Amino acid sequence: MTRLDNRVKLKSLTIKNFMPYKGLSSIDFPMDDSRNTLIVFGDNMRGKTSLLNAIRWGFYGYAYGRHLRKIPLNLLPNSEAVKEGDWEMVAQIKFEAAGSQYDLRRVARPKKHVAVIQKPEDIEVELHLQKNGAAVAGNLIEEEINQFSPEQVSRFFLFDGELLQEYEELLIEGSDHGKRIKDEIEKVLGVPTLTNGREDIRNILKLAQKQQAVEASKTKELESIAERYQEQETKLESLKVDLSSLTMSLRKTHDDRVTLDDEIEKYETVFVKKAQLDSFRARQKEIDSDIKAKTTERKMLVGDIWKDFLAPRLSIKRDSLIGEQQELNSLANENNKIKLLIEQATLANESSACPTCGTTINEDKLNSNRARLIELKSKLNDFKFDEERSFDVAVLIKTINKVLENKVGGRLVDLDSSLSSDEFNLSKIENNIDNLEEELKSYSLEQLQRDRQKRDSLFRSETTLSNELEQTSSLIDKTEVEIRALSTQMQPKETSRKTRAGQTIELCQKIYAVFDSSVERFRSNLKESVELNASLAFKEMTTQEAYSGLKINENYGLTILDQSNHEVQLRSAGAEQIVALSLIAGLGQAGRASGPVIMDTPFGRLDTKHRKNILKYLPTSATQLVMFVHDGEIRGSEDLDVIASRIGAQYEIKEVTPSHSVIQKR
Amino acid sequence: MDDITKLGLSEKGDMKLKRLQEENHFLDMRDAFRVGIALAIAFKVSPQEDNTKKVGRYNISQIDEDKSIETAINLLCDTQGVPTYRWAERLAEWGVAKLSEESESGQINFAKLLEDVSSLAKEH
Repeated sequence: MTRLDNRVKLKSLTIKNFMPYKGLSSIDFPMDDSRNTLIVFGDNMRGKTSLLNAIRWGFYGYAYGRHLRKIPLNLLPNSEAVKEGDWEMVAQIKFEAAGSQYDLRRVARPKKHVAVIQKPEDIEVELHLQKNGAAVAGNLIEEEINQFSPEQVSRFFLFDGELLQEYEELLIEGSDHGKRIKDEIEKVLGVPTLTNGREDIRNILKLAQKQQAVEASKTKELESIAERYQEQETKLESLKVDLSSLTMSLRKTHDDRVTLDDEIEKYETVFVKKAQLDSFRARQKEIDSDIKAKTTERKMLVGDIWKDFLAPRLSIKRDSLIGEQQELNSLANENNKIKLLIEQATLANESSACPTCGTTINEDKLNSNRARLIELKSKLNDFKFDEERSFDVAVLIKTINKVLENKVGGRLVDLDSSLSSDEFNLSKIENNIDNLEEELKSYSLEQLQRDRQKRDSLFRSETTLSNELEQTSSLIDKTEVEIRALSTQMQPKETSRKTRAGQTIELCQKIYAVFDSSVERFRSNLKESVELNASLAFKEMTTQEAYSGLKINENYGLTILDQSNHEVQLRSAGAEQIVALSLIAGLGQAGRASGPVIMDTPFGRLDTKHRKNILKYLPTSATQLVMFVHDGEIRGSEDLDVIASRIGAQYEIKEVTPSHSVIQKR
Repeated sequence: MDDITKLGLSEKGDMKLKRLQEENHFLDMRDAFRVGIALAIAFKVSPQEDNTKKVGRYNISQIDEDKSIETAINLLCDTQGVPTYRWAERLAEWGVAKLSEESESGQINFAKLLEDVSSLAKEH
């Protein structure tokens, strides 16, 4: 079947009560080849990795926690649903592969007669698969899935960006963890098919050599060689027992150390949280004191607010009083003017001279002045000017002005709005304080100290065990060389004298050599293919034009090559991530049919340019690209422009409560 | 009808006034009393005659030291021949009840009251 025939595409994922997803949640994957990218946005701790785990659990029946440790089944169902007595957990994945339609459904529920679920064994899991509408027999389901989506390869298409750093271990020659990853990579690539064959031949060879030694011990001239052979064999067995026990101890020590690292990391988070708590408490104090000061000022202002209540009506009244006052003033002026004229006319009549220049006034003019005086006096008598009212109006205006001058409403409104924002912030801070106090309640700093000491001691043990393991391996190699030499010495030179065991040995040695060189050739071909594909991907994704490609090492670790094909020794965290993604791309292409790539938090350490390159490249390297990202990784349209035309759907994870999230289409 | 020398409220009104101070809405009951009168004037309230017994509390000078309130009542209210400070008591009864009602939500929303008062002033 060609790769195109075997293409895998996810259609939908429906989950029920899976980790933080209480009740039913579902995602429809984009099916259009030209818009094959799905992005799910979610803040940290909301359930992005849980979605990845839902797919993993649906296909393979397990979910990973930190450091690729499996999460016990009883811890997977949603805790709120469990509290409400609903233990049923479902992951249903609809997909198409090789032209067939599949419906995979994995259901977990408590075993009958189990009242309280305490351990994974209390839960039973059912797996159903329908292919083109017909049920696939239970014992064939795994095989069916592995045809197009082998479990061993799953880490290369269902991967957690936070684990990318694991691949850096591959660069450390001889590291146990690196060796374990290498073994896994080789499993994916099919190397064990050959290495297992080689091991089988080695076992047959060993049996034949033992038989030969027994036969040789019966021959006088070979007796001492056979004896030495037996000694070396016994030594080899014992070394192998040592090696196996050392390997186990090392793994256990490593796992214990990693567990403690996790615990310590949690504590380190505790320290960060403690610092946050202290800063929240300081801010709480600050806001509290602000609120107190503002409340006191507010109470003072409230005492004067009556003036602001009167102000609108008093202002209108004052305007009308000012109008009245103006009228009264003009009347007063008129009144004064008449009085002055009367005064002047009276004076002129009495002195018969002009009161201004002193010139004598003739009789005619005096007569006319007398008539004018009578007229003015009569006008003054008729004039109505209320002097008292004028005084009252002036007092009223003054009183009103006093009220209007001291308004406090504006400041009070500002204070109220500032107080309400302070109170909102305070309540947010108090919530944060409550949550942090609750979280920190169960941690003890003394325990952290003890854990740190224990971790350091385990780390030292790990180093010692690694050294012992290396020495034992080297002794085993030496002993095997010795055994092979003794075995050769025990063989007669002439073929006619060779025993059956001798003939088997000869044959096995030849077959072993064939397997040995095949393994090496196969590995070398695979490495070349992975190196080539990874280099192509790397060149698409890197922003550094001076890099010419990647070089693969014994462990499948990749180093960057510069333009003169020299290895680049120092590389940034961002470059590490691009290299890891390239390895994933290389391995993904070497190890399975073309299918979707689902990535959780893939851009953690990358700059904008790298993000853009990756976003451009990844949709072209898979049938579907599904990314679970947080806002810090992808800044909305700014970053998504580059793949806007490839986005088939966008979802968002929303928090209902800390243990209940929902998925919504964007 | 003679005017009064002490200002007070009905027993019910007095309890409300006390509560306004106890619940820290006002530093002093006199402030609440004064704000009550002003609020009633601003809301153009024409209070009905109230014959219930008054709990006399304050000398007029404690409430209206510079006679601003008296001036405002005389200028803005039709007291229907009722002496100014008797009218002031009736206004305070209404205003304190209104403040007490407003305080039930936890905080008196003065911004809203000021807005209402400003629009009412524009209505003839």
